[in-house]
This record gives sequence, structure tokens and C-alpha cells, in this order.
Amino acid sequence: MASTTHLSPKSKKNLWQKFWSSTNERMGYLFILPSFAHIVLFLFIPLGFSLFLSFTDWRGTNIYNAPWVGLDNYDFMLGDRRFWNAMKNSAYYTLLSVPLGMAISLGVAVVMNQKLRGTYFFRTLFFMPVISSWVAVSVIWITILDPQAGILNYLLSSVGLPTFNWLGEPATAMPSIVIIAIWKGLGFQMIIWLAGLQAVPQVLYEAASIDGASGWAKFRHVTLPLLAPTSFFLFVTGVIGSFQVFSPVYVITNGGPRGATDVAVHRIYLRAFEGFDMGYASAQAWVLFAIIFALTVLQFWVRRRSGEETLF
Amino acid sequence: MFSKSAAHVLRLWGLMLVVVSVFTVVAQDEVTLDVIGLTVPPDEAGTPLDISRQDFIANFQDANPTITINAIDAPPEFDTQIIIDLAAGTAPDVWYQGSGNLPNLVAAEGILDVSVCLDLVPELTLDRFDPNFLAIHQQGDSLWGLPDGGTPMVMYYNPEAFANAGVAEPSMDWTWDEFLTTMQELTLDSEGRNRLDPDFDEDNIVQYGFRVRHFLFEWIYWVWQNGGDVISPDGTTVDGYLNSPETIEAITFLRDLVLVHGVAPSPSALDQLNQQFGFLTAFLQGDVAMFPRGHWEMVGLRNNEIYTEDRVSIIANPRNVEGATVIYESGWVINAALADQPERLQAACALLEGLTDVEFQNSKVISGLEISANVEAAAAAVDVSEYPEISERFVMALADGRPDYSTRYAGWAVTIEEPINLMMENILAGADIEEEVAFAVEEINRELERANN
Repeated sequence: MASTTHLSPKSKKNLWQKFWSSTNERMGYLFILPSFAHIVLFLFIPLGFSLFLSFTDWRGTNIYNAPWVGLDNYDFMLGDRRFWNAMKNSAYYTLLSVPLGMAISLGVAVVMNQKLRGTYFFRTLFFMPVISSWVAVSVIWITILDPQAGILNYLLSSVGLPTFNWLGEPATAMPSIVIIAIWKGLGFQMIIWLAGLQAVPQVLYEAASIDGASGWAKFRHVTLPLLAPTSFFLFVTGVIGSFQVFSPVYVITNGGPRGATDVAVHRIYLRAFEGFDMGYASAQAWVLFAIIFALTVLQFWVRRRSGEETLF
Repeated sequence: MFSKSAAHVLRLWGLMLVVVSVFTVVAQDEVTLDVIGLTVPPDEAGTPLDISRQDFIANFQDANPTITINAIDAPPEFDTQIIIDLAAGTAPDVWYQGSGNLPNLVAAEGILDVSVCLDLVPELTLDRFDPNFLAIHQQGDSLWGLPDGGTPMVMYYNPEAFANAGVAEPSMDWTWDEFLTTMQELTLDSEGRNRLDPDFDEDNIVQYGFRVRHFLFEWIYWVWQNGGDVISPDGTTVDGYLNSPETIEAITFLRDLVLVHGVAPSPSALDQLNQQFGFLTAFLQGDVAMFPRGHWEMVGLRNNEIYTEDRVSIIANPRNVEGATVIYESGWVINAALADQPERLQAACALLEGLTDVEFQNSKVISGLEISANVEAAAAAVDVSEYPEISERFVMALADGRPDYSTRYAGWAVTIEEPINLMMENILAGADIEEEVAFAVEEINRELERANN
């Protein structure tokens, strides 16, 4: 017995063998090492650096010359009406785009979930804008929204409705950006909704049918409640993404007209890369992060308060 | 035998030593300069401009056999990219730089005071430059690069539109009053009645006199013409300048061209005109008779399908209290990192001498984009220009030119120009002038206070 113990393969393993033949958990660390290194190098270090910059007045090329200003950037931001106006515009964009985008994409997903001819073709069609570049999409929509030659005004006028200078008037510019963003993001949200819809057990619909439920009643009382986790996911990621909207504003309106589409990230971009005011831009970015983080926490809190935490 | 072999080996070693020494000396003397600004976009390859630049490089390398020019394409978003490249240590040695970014580069300690070149290259003297252009690069005792060329803002007008309205073409010394009357006479309805006609039809305007936009670069000189300004000379405040009576009066005059006199399209009407035709086409077909712009617009106009010589001319801006216009300019700068590399610095200075010399500057006339900063080349360009009268007027307008303020203050575009642009955009949309100006003054002064602390 003693001899067996002495000769057991386990005791003869070197360090490398010990590591590999140990639990799967240890091997797992090796598998995540590349991603972890990537995240540390390209996310955590830049994040830490930008946090450091937010306490400096760095405008140059040599970081060693960056003057430490403590909380001055944050203090200045409190009275920066332009920044808070941009934040207000971001909130307005979010309020419009998130619920509208979710509702429209849900409607499309419900139709795409039917066993109809050509469904796969249309799913592909709806997803195409997602993989198109913002510049290409912007050019298309600038043409569509052209006040003189655009097809949208043509359609409106052909049915006797008033036409608009969609991107040229403050009142219609942001709604126009929202329409474009919803159109572009529709395919992604549709796919998520489809996944949720296909996870709803058919027996529940059958049971509802036996109870005499109408189509709307089944949707209202079976589908929607069971899509709650999907809704929550899309809502949270939608709010986060909407507060970070930048590309359509940069390409289409550049913040105009009259500052109506000047959103927070656009303002941060201008400060950082046109004003070279990196310290202040970093502080703005961290305040934006704090607001998004607070909103996300709030959404989770509200969800828990409504007693649906078990869904997640 | 042994001693013979040893001598042979020694001779070989000696020869190798000489060869290595010669190569080392040559290698030390040879300098390769990375330069941005001597290439053209791919679609302009083989054009006269491209050929003139390639000829310059070849001639310069022939004349300076130890210097090699590595001409690099300018990356997109150049003004941003160059700051990043300087931070990363990958910026070129010499580059062509719009002067609006000079204060940011100076603040970033990214470019060299090229006064040192005047000692290193005796042929390089400052008397070759137009003083208005040179002044943009001179700040205190420092010389931040050398001017290459630029343009004053002038008034483009369509002589056919003037003839159509029966209005005489303006003179170089016209006044604000004459300007307003001319604009009223140029603005026509579909029946050919002008703004001074009591029966003028507001709803059927077919020709506007002028274009007013909110961008500061297109109207700051109206403020100067009226004896006002937008910022204090030391750059510490806009209070007492942007809200001075002279400045308010100039802003009101411009606002009234749109909202009171109706001789310029509203922002919305202008936007629709742009969308429908493109502004240059609208101008050439006489929808708008006059607009402010720099020399570079000649390129766009001449490339337009409906361009004819009879449809384009220029005139100086009208005077009020004084004559004034703004100058936009680009020049050549040297990377500050070359200060510690004497051979490369010498080479870069020699290159700047060549780039600003009359021989290369004569190629300006090929591009048609700007007036050469080299006085001799600018004068010669007028003689060989395809539109000598226009070229001569551009040079004349330069006399009233003042540097663009973005060449003086770091962060100008975002912290000062942008709020003023928004202010004017609101004013042209009908907002109260006093309120908008007060708002802008407060906002900009907050920024200036922070920047100057």
C-alpha cells in the first residue's frame, strides 16, 4: 500500500503537469487570459488614464506637462450651459428613440415570427442597415429627407400633408435623427425580440386559446409578460446606447441647427479633438458615464421593486 | 612569408576601416525628411500641380544630394491627427499647416520657432513675404513657421445678375450705404421689380442680392469695418467688444439684410436653395447675386458645369468706418523635435527656403486656390493668370487684411467661434440680438477665464 502511494503518477508530476491536470477551473483562467489581457490593455488602462486626465488641464502632447487641477474641470462643468444643453438633447433623443425603437422592432419581430413565405428574406432585409456604415446610411437619409427633392416630402405633399425642412429646422432635426437611428437599429432589436418570442412555450398559447383568448389577449397576457427579460435587456442597452449617440449627429447635422442635435458625446468629441481640451473632455466623459451608470442602476432597482428580479 | 601575410591582413583591415569610415561619414550626413504637403490626392495624380511638386522634390534633392524628401500624404482630419502624431512621436519633420491650428501646436510645444532658420540658411530672408501673411506667423519674437499662401475674404458677384437688374457693378471703395442700396436693387421678384418698388412681390422672389450666413469667418470683418471687434487684444475678455455698440450695429446691419430688408434669403430659404441646386450653381444661374468667400472658391466655380467668365467677378468688401477683411492662410512648419537634431534641422530649414522661394511659389497659379505669400510670385501670378482682373483685386484686397483670430488663440474654434456662430444663427432666425449677445459674452468669458487661469 505504501509502495503504491509512493509510485502514484500524481506525485511525479512537474509543475506544468500539475497545473494542466488540475481542475478545469485553472485551465479556464488560461482560456480567458487573452481576452482579459485585451480588456486590461485597451479598456481598464485607458479608463484609468482618462480618469487621471479629468483632474488635469492637459491640452498638449506631453502628458508630463499636464497641470493637475483637481476638481476644477468638474466645477467648471456645473456651469457649462452648452454641456448641459447637450445632455438634455441626449435625454430627449433617448426618450424618443428607446420606446419608439422597441415598439416598432417588436411589431416587426412579431410579424417576422409568423410562418409566412419570404420571412427569412425580410429578416435579412431588416438586418441590412445594422451592418451598413453610418456614412452610407446618412447619405441615403439626407437624400430622403431633402426638403425639395426628398421622397418623404414628396409622399407627404402627394396626400395633402404639410412638408418640412426635416434636418434644417430645430423642431424636426432631432426627431429626424431618431427616425434614422431607429431604422438603422431595427434589425438588431428585431433579432433579440425574435429570440425572446421563440422562447415562449406554445402550450401557453394553446391553453389561452382553449380559454377563449383573442389574439390581442394572448399577446397582452402571454407574450408580453414572458418577453419581460428581453424588454428589460433592450431597454437597458437602449438607454446606454442612446446616451452615447454620436455618429448620425456628427455625419448628418454636426449638432445643428441652432444646437438642436448637439448631444453629449458630440460635445465631448469637439472638446477633445477640435479644442484639444483633453482634461475637460475626460471630465465630461466621466460625468456622462456616471449618469448612464446611475440610470442603469435605477432601472435594475425599479425592476426589483416590481418583484421581477427572479426573471434575471 | 608570415610577415607578408600579416601585412596583407593589415592592409585589408586598413582598407575596410577606411571604407567603413567613409560610409559612416556619408551616412551621418545623409538626412531623410518626412514631409506632408507635397503630394496630391490620387485623383489629381499627373495634374500640373502634381508635376510641379514632383519637380520641386527632384530639383531640391539634386541641389541637396544629402537630403532625401519622403513625401507623405496628409491623413484625414489632419489638424487632429497631427496633435496625436506629435504626442506619439510619429509626426513628420516638416508639414503644410493651416494657420488656424498654429496656437494649438504652439501650446502643445509641437512646432519650432523657425527664426533659427534665418541664421542657418542665409538665403532665407523675410522680405520675400507679404507682411500681412508673415504677421500671422509672427508672435512676439517668435516665428511659428513660414507663410505659403492664403486669401482675403472678398465679395464674389455675378455680373450677369447685376445686368439683369440694371445695376452698375460696384467699385473697390464702395460703402455700406451703397452696398445696401445695391442689394435692394439686385433683389428681384418674378415680374422684375426690385426691393425698392412698392409693388414688390414677397412671395415670388427670383433673385436675391446677397447671402448672409451665421459663420463668424464670413462676417467678422463687417464688425471690423464698423470699428468694432469681438475680443480684446490680449484675448482675455469679449465683454466690451462682442457687446460693444459698434459690434451690435454691425450684427444688426447683417441681420436686417435678411429679416428687415429681405435682400438675403432666410437660413431656411438658403438651405432649400443649397439642397435644390448647390449654392455655386444657384449663384452662377443668378439666384443670389453676391456672396462672401476666399480665393479657393474660384476652383469650385470654374469646375461648375454652368461656369462662364461673364458670371464671376470679385470686389472688395464695402467700407464703413474703415476698410477691413480677414485673411486665411497656410504655411510650412517644422517639428519641434528637430531642435535637438542639428543636421535634420539644417535640412528642414533648407527645405523651407526652397518651398517659399519664388520658383516653387510660382506653381501657386496652377492650383488657383490662393495667393502666394511670396510677393514676387504673387505679382507674377497676376500677369499669367487666366483671370488677371480678379487676381489683381484679390491682391489689392489683401491690403485691408487682418489675421484670422484662430491664428492667435488656442481653442478658438470650440470655445469662442462656436458660441458666436450659434449666437448669430439664433439672431438670423429672429432671436433678440441683445439677449443672444449677452448670453454669448457670459459663456465665452467663462471659457476665457478658465483658459487664462
